[in-house]
Amino acid sequence: MNAQEQKPFEEILEHLNGAKKIVLMGCGGCATIFRTGGIKEVNDLAERLENTGKEVLARIGLPFGFLCCYLPVSSKFVEEHIEAFKACDAVLMMSCGDGAQTVREYLDEKGVVKPLFCVNNALGYSGGGPTQFHEECLGCGDCKLALTAGICPLTQCSKSLMNGPCGGVRPDGKCEVDPERDCAWVQIYKRLEKLGKVDLLLEMREPHDWSRAARPRREEVESIDMMEELARTKRAIEALGVR
Amino acid sequence: MAAKEAYSRFMEELLSGKFVWTGELEPGKDIKESLEAARELKGLVTACNVTDNPQSFASISSLAAAHVIQRETGMECIYQLRCSDRNRLALMSEVMGAGILGLKNVLALTGDYVMLGDTPAAKPVYDLDSTTLTYMIHRLVHEGKDIAGNDVPNPPKMHVGVAAGPGVDPIEPEMYKLKRKVKAGAEFVQTQVIYKTEVVDRFFKWVKELQIDVPILIGIFPAKSYGAAKFFDENVTGVDVPREFLAELEQTVKIKDKEKRREETDRINIEYFTKFLEHLKGTPAAGCHIMAVGYPRIIPELKKIVE
Ligand code: SF4
Ligand code: SF4
Repeated sequence: MNAQEQKPFEEILEHLNGAKKIVLMGCGGCATIFRTGGIKEVNDLAERLENTGKEVLARIGLPFGFLCCYLPVSSKFVEEHIEAFKACDAVLMMSCGDGAQTVREYLDEKGVVKPLFCVNNALGYSGGGPTQFHEECLGCGDCKLALTAGICPLTQCSKSLMNGPCGGVRPDGKCEVDPERDCAWVQIYKRLEKLGKVDLLLEMREPHDWSRAARPRREEVESIDMMEELARTKRAIEALGVR
Repeated sequence: MAAKEAYSRFMEELLSGKFVWTGELEPGKDIKESLEAARELKGLVTACNVTDNPQSFASISSLAAAHVIQRETGMECIYQLRCSDRNRLALMSEVMGAGILGLKNVLALTGDYVMLGDTPAAKPVYDLDSTTLTYMIHRLVHEGKDIAGNDVPNPPKMHVGVAAGPGVDPIEPEMYKLKRKVKAGAEFVQTQVIYKTEVVDRFFKWVKELQIDVPILIGIFPAKSYGAAKFFDENVTGVDVPREFLAELEQTVKIKDKEKRREETDRINIEYFTKFLEHLKGTPAAGCHIMAVGYPRIIPELKKIVE
């Protein structure tokens, strides 16, 4: 998911630049998990804004699992509040930049052109939870995990090196950039050793092909049947006893 | 891959089996001192490394500096090239440029992380790493191809070397990487500074085990003062200056008389490095890379020990 943190309140006010009537929209995905845009955070921010004299025309909280970046769902919430969007001076998105711009494009296409910005700083793909998360993937477009013991050097190594450690590894095997963290290549070596595949380290890897990461990328897929997927989710939740 | 013919004096001496000494020049933001140092080092070392944005401090281009140093002083240069600041296109064009400027040795480095220097907001590049940079240069020189496989009509004749960090634990990832770099075309190795003979022995044990068959110069750092040793200890990742050596040098701070302090500092260095270099004679080391910036007077003393 996309890790994120909320900007300081002062910065949010600065970006609002005097706008009075505000629409607040959250996200039921990563932003709920990171507590930067769940229903509770939408209400909290609305109150803080109201305390400074702003008028919040709509507090749009998305229930958990309803992603702001997924238009088949988020557009329904936008439509429900379309009059508020039309009447406001600014839209504050409590999602990552991805969700924010997906909604912005939708509004633009409808001719509702408003100042819109994201109150969160997105920090990249991260895994883990419920409280600790770490970045694991850059979305490079050409996954090489098979060659590196399932540990991504593009992400785990500060220099994204594909051919072993740099000269800055500390004497204790920690990273030059962060003495708290094991060098990615030390981790890869240890895991390859357990897998009996240290020989992989003797092969030179070609420079990474960054053309797959040329931005912005576009993808097209067949759309899913949401009701069917949700029914499956419900059955799975019941079977697993997830709370 | 060991060189078959020599394009530079440095490689010529390595191939002849002579114990080779190299020094280091850091142009920084003003080349004046490096030119002076190059003149002082002339005759004492075979060639000098010219650093490329060391510790990620923005410095005069190592290519331009090496060219000027060679032209003005006649000191042969091993010009350092790091991946931190340039993508493969820029690296390629720079190496071709080095060819027409008459540079004959290049050291392919990954480079310190940019955040550690004086321009921490810079975007780190690392499009290539030291292995793929080595391969790029090897292919250019020996196959006349650029990194995309295009023909290069008059490829430069130069030797590519790499660095090694023998002091890390675990050592295996580092040694496998060194093997990989030699397979990719590295013709010589200059190690990070080593102080302990056990580290030298462990390193050469692995060199033998992995059949790394190119000349290796061991990095040493005689410290011209306690301050220099302390700075090195605190700022260079991957090396710890031994506590005893530091403690001994610290005593010299109390000596008021400048001349006496110099003598005592020299004595401590010579005592330490006599043991170290005597030990090195019994290893396959092809030479020494002396990082002693601003301390040329110690070099003749060190050379005496080996000769
Ligand atoms: S190689 Fe790393 S960055 Fe690329 S897709 Fe795989 S995990 Fe993600
Ligand atoms: S120490 Fe390891 S993880 Fe850190 S930058 Fe160097 S190679 Fe990458």
